[in-house]
Amino acid sequence: MSRSQRLGIAFSAFIAFAVGVITTLSLLLGGRPELYADFAGAPVFARLMSLPAAIMVRLVAITAAVTIVIGISNLLYVHMGRVVRGAFFSIVMIASFALTIWWYWSKQGDTSLLAAVQVPIESALAALLFLSMVQGGARVLAKRADIWGALFVTVLVVVLLGSLPIESLAPVRAWSDWLMEIPVSAGARAILLGIALGTVVTGVRVLLGQDRSYRG
Amino acid sequence: MAEGTIALLSFVLTLMVFSYVLGDLPLLGHLYRTAVYIFVGMSAAFATIVAYESVILPYLQDIQNPETSWTALGNSADVAIFVTALLFGLLLLLKPIASLSWLTNSALAVVIVVSAATAVVGGLSGTLIPLIVATAAVPDGLATDFQALTDTLLVFVGTMTALFYFQWQARRDDDGAPVQSPISRGIRNSGKIFIVTALGAIYATTMLTALTILAERIGFVFQFGS
Repeated sequence: MSRSQRLGIAFSAFIAFAVGVITTLSLLLGGRPELYADFAGAPVFARLMSLPAAIMVRLVAITAAVTIVIGISNLLYVHMGRVVRGAFFSIVMIASFALTIWWYWSKQGDTSLLAAVQVPIESALAALLFLSMVQGGARVLAKRADIWGALFVTVLVVVLLGSLPIESLAPVRAWSDWLMEIPVSAGARAILLGIALGTVVTGVRVLLGQDRSYRG
Repeated sequence: MAEGTIALLSFVLTLMVFSYVLGDLPLLGHLYRTAVYIFVGMSAAFATIVAYESVILPYLQDIQNPETSWTALGNSADVAIFVTALLFGLLLLLKPIASLSWLTNSALAVVIVVSAATAVVGGLSGTLIPLIVATAAVPDGLATDFQALTDTLLVFVGTMTALFYFQWQARRDDDGAPVQSPISRGIRNSGKIFIVTALGAIYATTMLTALTILAERIGFVFQFGS
């Protein structure tokens, strides 16, 4: 690795650390006048503290929008290459893209194409999900024939039966309600806490420069 | 677009997607894939429109009006931020050039670090602290209501043991193989009961949602067909 490349990496790391610390402090301390209750100019100071985070978040929002456009341009570029070779599905994809853009601009923001094409395909795909999920549930029983597989399928059946509006299934509904209120609530809380802890730990690692995935 | 055309397109596209159920037959298999490629093309087009109209265009209009400033630093600061953001986006295109990759990495570093800072603060104030407070909260009248006491304890124990399940601890025996202590295994298994129960219930509710959509789609197909 050359000296200039090492300097480049050090520069990126410095920028990342400085921006990260400023943004975190601004997010934590900005926009909360109650934190500076004894200070006469608390509202102005709190607004001033929140400014760096607001600027950075907007900067990233615009950059993210530009990267979406760049990513879609790349998708079109790849499929253009396939169109030259006569790939039918790439022609369909590019035609669909071009038609949507043309429709939107020529009809002054008319979104009826969304209702006619996008929503039915999305709904039909979501409906197909049910069949895949039934198949998945059956596979759990077939491939994982242990106590955990049995517990998973039992809970699944109880919750499904509990959702049926049938009078004779009232005891099952009561059991399903209890399951949702106590064990499912506890398990879901633990999963959410685990996700939040993982997010915070990964975020802090990035902020401290321990995780430098942006080096590429 | 006329109501009848929308309904006809919806009908044809729904059948094209449902042709997936019939398997990978020579012509019918193409119908499903065609619908999916139409979906991808249209989603990409709408993503471009939303990125431009909801993010780029408002800022563009804002910086063209010298009397407004969202940064409260004046119009020239807004222009500088907008141009910097566009520059960041363009710098990402330099990634394939090795000698200039440090420029791309610096722009990427800002994006990643600001996202990480937002995630840390959001995770702490939006999820972690409220969930811990909710789990440790003691409802009113707990001393007199045995059922409420049992339920609260069960939720607390369930959350703690399920969290413990994510942490795998073991010591090595004489042969170097990892061995869990019986207490640790017991707590982990208790936690696993709550996690499997939660996953089963989440799976069931997702199935119910998909079933509702399936019923609506089948209803639409029959209604249109008749």
